[in-house]
This record gives sequence, C-alpha cells and structure tokens, in this order.
Amino acid sequence: MTAVAARFGRIAAGVAQRQLDALALAAPGLLCAVLLSADGFEVASLQTDKGSAARLAAMASSLSAIAAAIAREAGLAESNRMIIESANGTIVLANVPDTSPPLLLAVIVADGCVLGRLLWATTNCCNAIGRAFRE
Amino acid sequence: MNEQDFKIVFTGPMGAGKTTAIAAISDEPPVSTDVVNTDRAVFDKALTTVGLDYGRIAIAAGQHVHLYGTPGQLRYRFLWGILGNNAAGVIVLIDASQADALVQLDAFVEAFGSGKRAPVVVGVGRSDQAGALALDAFVQRLERHGLTLPVFGVDVRRRDDVLLLVDTLLCLLELGDIGRKIV
Repeated sequence: MTAVAARFGRIAAGVAQRQLDALALAAPGLLCAVLLSADGFEVASLQTDKGSAARLAAMASSLSAIAAAIAREAGLAESNRMIIESANGTIVLANVPDTSPPLLLAVIVADGCVLGRLLWATTNCCNAIGRAFRE
Repeated sequence: MNEQDFKIVFTGPMGAGKTTAIAAISDEPPVSTDVVNTDRAVFDKALTTVGLDYGRIAIAAGQHVHLYGTPGQLRYRFLWGILGNNAAGVIVLIDASQADALVQLDAFVEAFGSGKRAPVVVGVGRSDQAGALALDAFVQRLERHGLTLPVFGVDVRRRDDVLLLVDTLLCLLELGDIGRKIV
C-alpha cells in the first residue's frame, strides 16, 4: 500500500480498487487504470505491475498539471479531462471530483474501445470514487 | 523564441526554491503547475511542482532568457531530459539545511551533464540555518568529482540573488559556449 493509500485508509483504497474492477467491465479493451494523487502517487491500480503504475502515476500527474496550466493560460476554467489518442489505443486522464487531496484517474485502452463509451465509463468511475472517498 | 534567445533550466531537489526563483525574476507572472503536496514527510510544504515552471526575462532589446523549472522529485526524472533539451545552461538549486544536500548536489549536477553539455551554476540556499552545510562543503564536493563550477549562496526570494545566478550563466556562455545558443 502506498503512503497515500495508507493515508486514506485500507477501506477507501479497497473501495477504489472495486471501482477500478467495475471500470474494466464497463470499458472493453481496458489495458490498465491507475488512481493517483495529483502529486503523482499511486493510490490503486488495475492490470499493471507496480513499477508501471508508479511511472504512469508520475507522468499522468505532470500531464494533467500542464493541461490545467494551458487551460488557465487560455482563460478557460480548470481542465477536467485530457484525452491522448494514438493509432492503437487511447489514454484518458480525468479528475476525480471534490476529493482532498485531489485525485486523478488514468485509463489506457486498446484500439477498438469506442471513445464515448470510454469517457462515460471513466466519468462514472471518477464520480463513484469521489463519492466513496468523501464518505 | 527568436534566434537571440536563450533557454535555461532551474533544477534541484524538492523544496530547493525553483518555483520561487523563477517567480522572483520573471518579467511576467510565471506558468505554474503546482499541486497539493501529499508527501509532507519528505518536505513539509503545501504545494509542489509536478510539471514545469516557465517564466521569461528580457536581457536586451528583443532578446529574452526563457526560464524553465523542473520538478525535483526523482519520480519526475522523465521530465528532466525533456526540459533540459536545448538548454543553454543549467542552474542547480540546493537546500543546505537538508541532511542529504551533498548527495542531491551530486545527483542533479550529474543528471544535467556535470557542466560538460551546458554550463552549470550552483545556488545554495538556507546556508544560514542551524545545522546547514557551509558553502565550502559544496565547492569541495564538486572538486572531489573534478568539477569546478560557480557556487553561490543565495536567497531565492531575492531577485538580485537569482539574477546573479543567471548573469553568471550568461557570462559562461559568452566566454566560450556560443555554440549552445538556441538557434
């Protein structure tokens, strides 16, 4: 268990893990998912080894922070979500709403998962994790 | 960035003052990617940089120095190479009051080429705090590795102190590193 998971407690981390399991069912082609703190620590992960999860958490936190800075620079509100599309897969980085400290969800799917379905499943997962952590 | 401009990178461990240093000298409000710090055991501060800092200062008519700050934590090492790419010079900031300050000096100086790829200037902060290492310890540590780099005691909140680091870097570039100018 990471330091952040320890801070939230085993129950909350367990709830997050169950939500990631549910995400795998809702998003066909899911390769991996990592719930992370905004400063780049893994809280829970799915279908990835711990080294990969730690690296993905760090990279996702950087990209999300840079996306937020670009949104601010453009005079937009805080960014909620970032989508990276490649020839053979898609990555979504989404903010988990209203958690303290702030959390993010990084999801990687193979080509073939419909983007709309992926975004719907990711949003539902983030909302469920947000509710669980606020409780 | 026009052909007269320079890019320099501020790096160093978490809490060394990279964001503060760039904010102290930038002509415009810097771009910041600070988020809530959950790792208070390593450094007790509210926010930490996880992407980059960016600022800019004019040094002559139409000529600017672009200031990039790196995250300090090792897990963001993947960004060090990206941000260091094409840098004309590097400023390594070290907190003298940290127990592992000399190890941090070694790590960051080496990660950014030990002054062989681009000039490196070292700024040492909080050297007046109880238990902090003296400036000389950092100079000697570099000499043990065969490196002679400029080392200054600085308070990164003070514009003049940070400008001293930048000016020193620009002098080193003028003395023999024009090949590293951004073109």
